[in-house]
Amino acid sequence: MLMALTIANLKMIARNRQALFWAMVFPLIFVVVFGLFRFDEPLEVNLLVVDRAQDEVSEGLIASLSAVERFNVAVRQDEAELRRELEDGNGIYVLIIPEGLGPRLAQGPAATPVEITLLYDRANQSAPIIIGAIQKFIDNTNQSIVQAPTMLELRPQGVQARQFTYFDFVLPGLVGMGVMTYSIIGVASAMALYREQKILKRMLATPLRVRTFFAAQIMAFLLLSVVQAVIIMAAGMLLFNGHFYGNFLYMMALVVVANVVFLNLGFIVGAVAKNVRAADGMANAISIPMMFFSGTFFPNENLPKIIATAVEYLPLSPLLDAMRGVALDARPFWEYPGELAILGAWIVVSSVAAVRVFRFS
Amino acid sequence: MTEAIQVEGLVKKFGAFTAVDSVSFTVRQGEVFGILGPNGAGKTTAMEIIEGIQEPTAGRTLVLGTDTHREQEKVKERIGVQLQASAYFEYLTLTEILNLFGRFYPRHLPPMELLAKVGLMEKAKATVGKLSGGQKQRFTIAAALVNDPEVVFLDEPTTGLDPQARRNLWEFVQAIHKEGRTIVLTTHYMEEAQLLCQRVAIMDRAKIIALDTPNSLVRRLPVPYEVKVMAEGPLPTNNLEALDSVRGVEFDGEGVCHLRSADAARTLQALLAWANGKGIRLAHLEVVPANLEDVFLALTGHQLRD
Repeated sequence: MLMALTIANLKMIARNRQALFWAMVFPLIFVVVFGLFRFDEPLEVNLLVVDRAQDEVSEGLIASLSAVERFNVAVRQDEAELRRELEDGNGIYVLIIPEGLGPRLAQGPAATPVEITLLYDRANQSAPIIIGAIQKFIDNTNQSIVQAPTMLELRPQGVQARQFTYFDFVLPGLVGMGVMTYSIIGVASAMALYREQKILKRMLATPLRVRTFFAAQIMAFLLLSVVQAVIIMAAGMLLFNGHFYGNFLYMMALVVVANVVFLNLGFIVGAVAKNVRAADGMANAISIPMMFFSGTFFPNENLPKIIATAVEYLPLSPLLDAMRGVALDARPFWEYPGELAILGAWIVVSSVAAVRVFRFS
Repeated sequence: MTEAIQVEGLVKKFGAFTAVDSVSFTVRQGEVFGILGPNGAGKTTAMEIIEGIQEPTAGRTLVLGTDTHREQEKVKERIGVQLQASAYFEYLTLTEILNLFGRFYPRHLPPMELLAKVGLMEKAKATVGKLSGGQKQRFTIAAALVNDPEVVFLDEPTTGLDPQARRNLWEFVQAIHKEGRTIVLTTHYMEEAQLLCQRVAIMDRAKIIALDTPNSLVRRLPVPYEVKVMAEGPLPTNNLEALDSVRGVEFDGEGVCHLRSADAARTLQALLAWANGKGIRLAHLEVVPANLEDVFLALTGHQLRD
């Protein structure tokens, strides 16, 4: 009986286009969007040099600037035109080397310093980093000219063992988001519809046990959420080169556990809402803010402290934290007892509430 | 033989509102039993308590000798239920729905046999959304028969149907009755109750105010007949009221005289003798029995549908 009902539920889900849209297309749109936009592409700097000196020293300077990684260096003549380009806001940097650079350096350290002008767009957010880099380059050149010994040296050492991109960060978020939105909206509107059309009451007139009915609903949605998670991960990894370092089964275990909470929320909304429309609206009102506040797209450390702490207790946050731990740090899910405890509390509270508020007619 | 249904002192209250007030009645096995009454009379509530869908505030209901609320499952296995204005899963075909519902019961009939009973064989692979209003109602009856039930409950099976679809559905109800099933149906159409039901309970404002066969209910009226008479010439207006058993005389615009009569046989005899004596040739003579609508009006002072 349970199997027959579960299969019937799956059939209905598969034939319901609107529900399928929420289940599959909606999260996949996000996968495509985040896959196409390269948010963390390394910075490229277009450095245009106006060389008024045109001597050996200035040419040497330009040659070594060109050798710097991610610097696209080009020599141009017309300073006025470059200033216009800058004003148009195309993010270029203009370096002006004054006349007579070589002869003045030849005078040795006693001479007044030579001014090299750097023009940049003040609205450009990466400007301070670029200016710093050019400054450091000038300092080094300076040092080698006066032949000062190097006393201190910074040796940068990357400790990030695995390379992951912003997309890799977002992908588990999209899995969590997809499962959450579909479960809440899918269950809420199904329950509201079944009640509106008296299907629940009709089932009550048969010997079917109420718990069997619920078990079949939950089974169908849990099965679907696993399929959904696999599709989202596969799309991200195959189409957009996303990375996943952990155990996929751990990820699925987290999805299934957290989904119980979302399904319960769906049952609650479905019971409280007056009709199908109201159920859809309420389900959206719950899932969309949660999707943003629980760190689907950006780490919620960026939120004000109080809010960041508060949203940690939403059911989506611990799920995403644990999923990212599994996906990016390759840790097993049981290394996240805090997150699992929050999810466990949500399961208990939401189950009790769902049973309390549920009604057949 | 045990009774199909026994209802004893049934009360259902929703807060201060009493939906069903001390209702008792018995339904015999193999009969079509009608509960007739206006909207809001408490018909559906009473029926849903008997089916085990709602809990009574007081009283008890037995179906085939089993207490509905003590042994819900046992009762539910033996009854078939059609709910008022209920739909079925919109993304499953008729066959799939009947198969699914069949799984809820230990014993069930094959979907094609059920669809054949209500003339929906060719719609086996359609979804409920593709059916007309009449076909939908027929399907809900097929679904009520999925467990081959001994007692079938139909809640306003023809409400919202056009007259032709309604007559069509009546035939299916009669066919199901002929299979030996007991049928309990609610309706606010008196002609439906009169045609289909062996016995009718008239319900108004939470109480049963009369219960008998349709004919007995009508016969118990103080004025159960109307005699329509038309003469070849103009009918003399006086003297008619003095005829045997006549309780009232009215003329309509078309020259037809309506005599309200307590006893049609006596009135007819007196009328014919009177016409003979006066040399009046009658062009038309018709006896119309009163109907349940009149019974309802006489009992409650208001119309069945207002």
